[in-house]
Amino acid sequence: MTLTIALAKGKLLSGTEALFRKAGLPFPNGDGRRLVIPVDAVRFLLVKDVDVPTYVEHGSADCGIVGRDVLLESVPDVYEPLDLRFGHCTLALARLAGSDFDPRRASTLSVATKYPRLSTAWFLERGISPEIVPLGGSVEIAPALGLADCIVDVVETGRTLRENGLEVVDEVAVSTARLIVNRASYHARREAVAELMATLQRAIP
Amino acid sequence: MAADPPRGVVPSAAAGGQRLAQVPRGVQCFFGDEARRRRALESQVVSVFEGWDYEEIIPPLYDYAEVFSDPDLQPRTLSFMGRDGGVLALRSDFTSLLAKIAAGRLSDRPAPIRLYYSGEVLRDEPLRTGTQSELYQMGLEHLGGDPRAADAEVVAVAAECLERLGVEGWVVAVGHVGVLGGLAAEAGLAQGALEPLRERVDAKDAAGVRALAEQAGASPECVAALGALIEQTGPPGVLPRLAAALAFCGPARDALAELTGLVSSLVEAGLGDRVVIDLAEVRGFGYYTGVVLRAYAPGAGADVGRGGRYDSLLSRFGRPMPAVGFMFGLDRLAALLDGRRPAASGAPPEAEVVTAAALPDALREARARRARGARVRLEVPEP
Repeated sequence: MTLTIALAKGKLLSGTEALFRKAGLPFPNGDGRRLVIPVDAVRFLLVKDVDVPTYVEHGSADCGIVGRDVLLESVPDVYEPLDLRFGHCTLALARLAGSDFDPRRASTLSVATKYPRLSTAWFLERGISPEIVPLGGSVEIAPALGLADCIVDVVETGRTLRENGLEVVDEVAVSTARLIVNRASYHARREAVAELMATLQRAIP
Repeated sequence: MAADPPRGVVPSAAAGGQRLAQVPRGVQCFFGDEARRRRALESQVVSVFEGWDYEEIIPPLYDYAEVFSDPDLQPRTLSFMGRDGGVLALRSDFTSLLAKIAAGRLSDRPAPIRLYYSGEVLRDEPLRTGTQSELYQMGLEHLGGDPRAADAEVVAVAAECLERLGVEGWVVAVGHVGVLGGLAAEAGLAQGALEPLRERVDAKDAAGVRALAEQAGASPECVAALGALIEQTGPPGVLPRLAAALAFCGPARDALAELTGLVSSLVEAGLGDRVVIDLAEVRGFGYYTGVVLRAYAPGAGADVGRGGRYDSLLSRFGRPMPAVGFMFGLDRLAALLDGRRPAASGAPPEAEVVTAAALPDALREARARRARGARVRLEVPEP
């Protein structure tokens, strides 16, 4: 039975390829243009990372590989059986370096982020109702421009933060790549899904 | 001072005045082939319910809000104030409503009582794509009687519905809420630790579950058992491994024994290749006390039907009685079977056109043909 796997284009793709090759699983040879790629008994979809949960939740893909950060933001109704242990990053709260402003003690606060739901929830738990400035990218420039008091964004090495004059105040969440599985596929295509899970499990570092 | 109008909010028809075609979020409208196909699906399912001697009940569209006070249901229930000041609610769940009716209006009926329903529930769902507020459900409730026989009967009825509808590759996932409940009690989890654990169990994240359980100070065998709930999912062959993993915990072991009894009956009745064990199925309303059921089919995205045992719900309405139910979502079934069987219900026969110069003649002719059972369309020229 053919499985459809949704892959996130972008920073997770090389790690996904490394894992699939190590596991001896088929993987598309990237020509960069085709978005639906059949390889052996697997059909791959190459989609934007935030869309991976959507394809899987609705059953257009049986499985998907996506960062936990994306799952924390979109809270899709899918299974999340495997931590694939690559694509490590932190979702960090950051402010202008050297500032003595503590966003966790603020009475009013604006937060620039690609993660509005997660950031709002994190501050609400701490007794602060933040004003969210939603951005699709280049979030790091917001504090210097006065667009927001602080940011919540993905930090891998911390270099982008430093180069934009920011420093980490707190860790909001940690993230790695996850295998997600559609609920119906998990049960009704169980042999194919279970085999994929076992094969990946053996290759996880 | 007047506030600035909110930006990006779709204005309501009342505020805008002009948008007569606009509909509120969450509502649906069906016509033509789609309406016929839904009615055909409904009648197939309902005929199976009738075939197992379940009796139709047409409950009210609204009742007192307290009927729908299950903690998972209450926030999704649309409530309003009645004229007498009581809080009323649009029906958001048939099971709660039927439990009330079975305990009240049908209180002199001896158990077991077999009831079925077919109609909409209304839910105030969070703003998400694909989430409708009107859900058409066809379901049955088996109230009272021997719980073991009732559980098996309900699965058998659901199985026949899926067979009759021609759903391919369907399975029924069976679980039992007593297993996770027993393990959580054994682990001595604080209330605050239970919800995150449930969330990870539901995600089938075995590593995450083990990490949380260890953090909460659960014993090694409890941590292993929690992992087994997730990893030992599949055909009935996983049951012995689950029994070994749960042997140390009395309540979880008892719950598993109950489930194993149900599964053996189903296997012996020839449904073994349609049953999968899923003890990590922990979603659903808080009123479930025993076996929980989900029907899945490839390509459906989510479950097409669900149910479970709720032995305490009726005591809330004053007639303590064990009960079990199952329901199909018509919207999910229609989406699954759409296209696969386009002519399931067939187009209606072509109408016979009745024309006559005078309206009374046309009416007389149309009535005569109707008496013969023809489908007629009146076409009377304008005078």
